[in-house]
This record gives sequence, C-alpha cells and structure tokens, in this order.
Amino acid sequence: MKNTMRLTVAAATVAILFPQLSWGQDFKPSKQIETVVHTGPGGGSDLFARAIAEMLQKENLIPQRMQVVNKSGGGSAVAMSYLAEKKGETHTIGFFTGVWVTNPLTTAEATVTIKDLTPVVRLVLEPAVVVVKADAPYKNMKDFIEAAKKSPNQLRQAGGSVTGRDNLMRLLIQKATGAQWTYISFPSGGERLSNLLGGHVQMMVIEPQEAGEQIRAGNLRVIASLTEKRLPSLANVPTIKEQGIDVTIIPQARGVVAPPGVSRDVVHYWEGVFDRFTKTATWKQYLEQNQFEDGYLKGPALAKFFDDLTAQMRDVLKEAGAKVVR
Amino acid sequence: MEALGNLLLGFSVALSPVNLLWCLVGVFLGTVVGVLPGLGPAATIAMLLPLTLKMDHTTAIIALAGIFYGARYGGSTTSILLNIPGESSSVVTCLDGYQLARQGRAGAALGIAAVASFVAGTIGVLGLMLVAPPLARFALRFAPPEYFALMTLGLAMVVFLAGPSMIKALLALLIGLWLSTIGIDLFTAESRFTFGQAKLLGGVDFIAATVGIFAIGELLVNLESRAGAELFKVAKGFRNLLPTLQDLKDCRFAFLNGSLVGFLVGALPGAGATVASFLAYGLEKAFSRHPEKFGTGVIEGVAAPEGANNADAGGALVPLLTLGIPGGNTTAILLGGLILWGYRPGPLLIQEHPQLFWGLVASMYVGNFLLLVLNLPLVPLFAQILRLPYYILYPLILGISIVGVYSVNNSSFDVWVMALFGLLGYLMRKLEFPAAALILGMVLGDALERALRQSLMMSQGDIMILATRPISGTLLLLAAVILLMPAARKVRSWRLDAIERAG
Repeated sequence: MKNTMRLTVAAATVAILFPQLSWGQDFKPSKQIETVVHTGPGGGSDLFARAIAEMLQKENLIPQRMQVVNKSGGGSAVAMSYLAEKKGETHTIGFFTGVWVTNPLTTAEATVTIKDLTPVVRLVLEPAVVVVKADAPYKNMKDFIEAAKKSPNQLRQAGGSVTGRDNLMRLLIQKATGAQWTYISFPSGGERLSNLLGGHVQMMVIEPQEAGEQIRAGNLRVIASLTEKRLPSLANVPTIKEQGIDVTIIPQARGVVAPPGVSRDVVHYWEGVFDRFTKTATWKQYLEQNQFEDGYLKGPALAKFFDDLTAQMRDVLKEAGAKVVR
Repeated sequence: MEALGNLLLGFSVALSPVNLLWCLVGVFLGTVVGVLPGLGPAATIAMLLPLTLKMDHTTAIIALAGIFYGARYGGSTTSILLNIPGESSSVVTCLDGYQLARQGRAGAALGIAAVASFVAGTIGVLGLMLVAPPLARFALRFAPPEYFALMTLGLAMVVFLAGPSMIKALLALLIGLWLSTIGIDLFTAESRFTFGQAKLLGGVDFIAATVGIFAIGELLVNLESRAGAELFKVAKGFRNLLPTLQDLKDCRFAFLNGSLVGFLVGALPGAGATVASFLAYGLEKAFSRHPEKFGTGVIEGVAAPEGANNADAGGALVPLLTLGIPGGNTTAILLGGLILWGYRPGPLLIQEHPQLFWGLVASMYVGNFLLLVLNLPLVPLFAQILRLPYYILYPLILGISIVGVYSVNNSSFDVWVMALFGLLGYLMRKLEFPAAALILGMVLGDALERALRQSLMMSQGDIMILATRPISGTLLLLAAVILLMPAARKVRSWRLDAIERAG
C-alpha cells in the first residue's frame, strides 16, 4: 500500500516536471480519423466539422486526415448509436451539439445518451438573437411581447424542431411574460428565413452570423440578444435580461466526443491537439468570423457541463409540456 | 444593355484558360457523380471543398457549380439503361426511358436526355441572369399554404401515372404517403411507425426505396422469364444510336415545359428537383396528343423530366445568390463554400461581387455546352452496355444497386431496405400496381404533410387559408381540374358511344 502510494507520488512528480513525458502522448492517429456528424452535407454540424478538420490540417496539428461521415436522421439518434457501436474505436470521433442532449430525452428509440459517449472537448457556444422584419412595428422585445399579449397566438415564430433551442427559449419567455404566440417548425434554415422575409411569420431566433447579411442589407432588425452580455458585433442591441425579461439562457454548444470505452490516452491526445489549436490565430479568426463565443472546456468540467445541461433540459422540456422519456 | 455588359464581363472571366479548364473538370466530375447511383453532388462538393481554398474563388465556385449541374446530366444514364435511378430527380426518367431502352432505342433516349438537359440548363441560366431578383422576391410569397397547393398539384399527377386501374394507383399512392411519415415528426419530436427501430428514426431512405422498386423489382421479374436474355435490342450503326429529327420535333414542347417548370420550382427553397421532374412529366402527359402511350416508351417522357431537373439547377441558384438562402443540401454546401472563401452571401452579394456572379453565369453557359459535347459521344458507348448477355448484365445491375445504395449513408441497413422494396416492386408489377404512384407519394408526402400542418398553425386551424390565398387557390383549382380530367374523358367517350348508337 505504502509502496503504491510512493510510486504514485513519484509518477505525479515526473508528470508535473516533464509534461512531455506524460502518458497522453502514447496515442497518435495512424490512419484516417472517422469524424461523425448528425447532419447531411451542408448542415450546421457538417460545415462546422469540415471547417475544424481543415483548420487542424492547416495548422499541422494532426498527422492524419479527418474524414467527415454524415450519419443523419432521427435528430442525432443515428449518429449517436453509430458512435456507440464503435465502442473502444480509437480513430473515430463525433461532433456534438445541444440536440445530442435533448434528443434522447424526448425520443424513446434514441437509447444512446451523451453520458454513454466519452467527452473530449467543448469548443464553442453559439449566441442567438431575436430578429423581426425591418419594416415590422416592433422596435424591441417589449413591443413584440405587448403585441403578442394584445392578440394571443396571432403572432408567429419560425423555427426548427420543437425540442430546439429556439422553441425552448420561446417557452421560457412566454412563461416569464405571460404572452402567447405560435411556433411553426420548418426543417431548414433557408425556409425559416424566407418565411420571415416574406412576412408569413413575424419573428425568429437565429444565429447572428446567419442573420448578418440580412441585417446589413436592411431586411431584418435585431430586437434582443439571447445572451448574458451584449454581443460585440451588435453592441447597440440590449440583451433580453436588460429588457426586463428574466429567463435562463439556454446555451447552444458544439464540441467533440469519442465512442464509449476509449482509453484516457486517446482523450489526452485530442485534448492536447485542441489545447494548442484553440490558441492559434486561425481559431480566433474563425470565432470572430462566425460570431461564436469561445466555449473551450474539457475533462471533469465538460462532464459536469453535460450533467447540468441534461438536468436543465429535462426541466425546461417538462415545463414546456413535452413528453420526457428518460 | 447593362446585363449585356455584365455578361461580357462574365465571359471574360469564364473563358480565361484556367476557369475554362476547371469548368470542364467540374462538369466532368458532375457527370460521373450523376451516373453513379448513390454518390451525390452534395457529398462530392463537400469532399472537394477543402481543395478549393487555395484556388481563386471565382474559379472554385465555377468548378463546384459545374459538379452541381453536371450531376443532373448524368442522372439519366442508369435510369434509362438499367432502370436504376442515378439521382432522385431522375426517378421519373425510368418510366419511359427504360422502356425505350428495351425497344432498342436506348441511344435515342440518352441522346434526348442530353439535348433536353442542354436546352433546359441553358434556359435556366438565362432565367438566372435575367429575372433572378424579381423571381426571388416572388418566391418569398410562397408560404406553407402555397407549398401545400403545389404539392397537391403534384399529387394530382397520380392521374397520369396510373395504369389501367385508378383504384390501384390511389392505393399505391396512399402507401407511398404512409411511408413518408416514418421517422421523427418535426412538430412533436415523437417517432412514428418506427417499430422501436432506431435506424428508422430518419425515415426510409428514398434512393434505397426507389432503386429497390425499379431496378431490383424489374430484375426479379426478368429472372422469372428466361426471355430476359433477349430483352434488349441495340441498334446497329452510329446514326441509329442518336435521336432522330422527328424525336427532336416531338420534344419541342417537352423542352420548354421542362425548362419553365424546373426553373420556377427550383427557385422555391422548399420544393426540389424531384418534385419538378414529376410535375413536368405530368404536364407533358396532360397536354400530349397521345397520353395513353406514356409509360410505354415515349421520347417526351424522357425529355420533360430531364429538362426539368437541369433547369432546376439554375433556379436553385436564384435564392442562393440573390438572398443567401439555400434551398437544398447542395446549395447549402455552396453557401458554406462562399463563407469559407470569405464572401458574405446575402442580398448584397451580386452588387458587391459582380465578377463572381457574372463569371458563374457565363461559366454555366459554357458548362452546359461542354456537357453536351461531353455527353453526346458517350451515348453510343453507353448503349453498348445493353449488348452484354444477361448473365453478366444482371449481376452488374445488382452490384451497382447495392454499392450505390450503400454509399448514400454508408449503411447496410439501407441495402436491406432496398431488398425489401425490391420484393415490393416485384409484387406490384405482378399485381399491376403502378410503382410510380407509390414513389410519387413518397416524394411529396413529407412536404405535403408539413405544409398542411404549418398552414393550419398559421390560421389557428382554419382550413380556408388554403383556398383563399390567390396563389394557393389557383394551384388547387388546377389540381382539381387535373383530377377531374379522367372522369371528363370517360364522360366524353360515353357521349360519343351514345351518339354512335343513336346514329
């Protein structure tokens, strides 16, 4: 017992003094890295994964190519169960989003949860803003809420799946203000945006990057940012809390997970790669271009993030009246 | 005049040797990707995107767009020769194309597909050049009720896909509609008809189902009768392998029909090339002087859908380039590319980067011409495939089908789906159910249901929203007229009979 103790202390000392000797360096990819995303080519996660793959190669941080594999369908269920089948596979990773947390909560068949997979890193948090058409009478969030109160369920919001962040934020805001409006699901961002621009819906929750050009062209107006602090690129737009609506801000995170049962070495390897990557100018520039928030997180903190988010989502979904299956 | 000046600028960009070369590379790759079932333009462009980062950006989009519209040319090849839809937008092409091949006119069908693609592709670019901004504004008037009406019009086309029995066609259509509901429902996040299978959460893969029904079903029927060995005749001599002047004349209307329908439907972000190809086929038959011959191998039945899916490519670029709104997977990838290259795709793109837009437009004229030159000489070559004896041809069809279906999602589950649908296709042929009606239901079901539910959400449950809006009302009226056509024809033939008897 005493001997083991001494060994551990010795090993820890060596690890602290000579970090380059630490066990994390044992793994190095020796073949193509299969990179699983839950959207088809052109979807948000697909484009994100491809951009990361490109930047990692440009910065010479990985010795092998990353091959993006599209496992779309069933929200994130198909991609997640594919990763679960690859148990222990060292050359496979997946790109998660918030859907990977909410989807298993509402879908009985989606038996693989984010807890079953091995957390690697969280990379970004995507902020969101509330937009209306530029010629709409709503100058700020309060105007919209007042109008919605005056004629309940007459105003319409375009969004994605009912378990998506845009609908959950709607439910939280409705609860906080007592206003009611309708939520209409559209499968693609393109359809959402064209319905807003065509005046068929009055409002949508959108990522600032996606709305950027429409704002610049004078087609859309931002009436609130769904963030804790004001966005640097939209400094004159007050946050929803500044406008007196006190709601929990649901984060939209993106990052990397590995299949279940992969060794610490593999996780360490990727942590090392992303430690260096997130310090590069390329990464900083990418964050700025896409107006993402740096959300870098790893290790126990990331595991805790998944736990907290799962609990929070379960509450929000229940509150919203959705059927929560696990 | 301004457009002419801009177009000259565009040609000066597109005809530079480097751009010309990459345009050729793009359309060639597109053709190859189109010919291979499974591997689609979206996945190909996504794979090649990183390679374009070091290229000049205009050159890059010229090359990638070439893949996009080039794939529409190639899609018809396996549809006509082997009854394997090469792309989902070439499913309708199987109906008459494959029959033509069986009659020894594979070359004519392939040739007319290339010509129709060229004509419609060019008209699509012309439209993109001349009317893109106003058309994009018009397309914004399409809300869920309008999409519902458009999809209903599409469903009405079942009248033209029915064989001798309308009841059987409607039954097949209903099964198709049901199949389209499998998977997670967008509006409630609940799963439907998945039988506890996680693999069905994403729905039944469309390519797997169509390849099963068309290619495998046909294969099984042919295996049953040994006559399959001599099913195909291949005309001798190069000239007999190309469309005749009469064929071209017969297709005059089909070229125009395919071009207009394809371009207009393409400009709507929520529709797609497959819907366009079905609509064009139905319209072609509706206005034909010999509608009864459709499905037995008429040349217009190939020209109309093939034209439509090519003009759709031009149309799909309208919302992308004028508003920054992608209508489908492939245009979403192109949008991702534009952002990666440092552009800001949106309403100001054309104004701020004229050389990009006009260079692309000009390159599409060039690209469509290159595709015609590239594809026509291949026609007699491809037609030779049918000379293969059945004991080589049938395993080849089976092999191409399996590899193609597997490669869509790298999923062996999809191969089983294909096998199951192959059996279904076999049974439907035996029992004389029209397979095309089932496919039509699968194509439209999802969008139809979605549009209906979205419309009812918009109107708080008032169904009149569908009829009272001008565009949707008109489209619904048109659908009603089409649905009543067979009944009207019947009444007329009764009357003629009665007059004859009376006389």
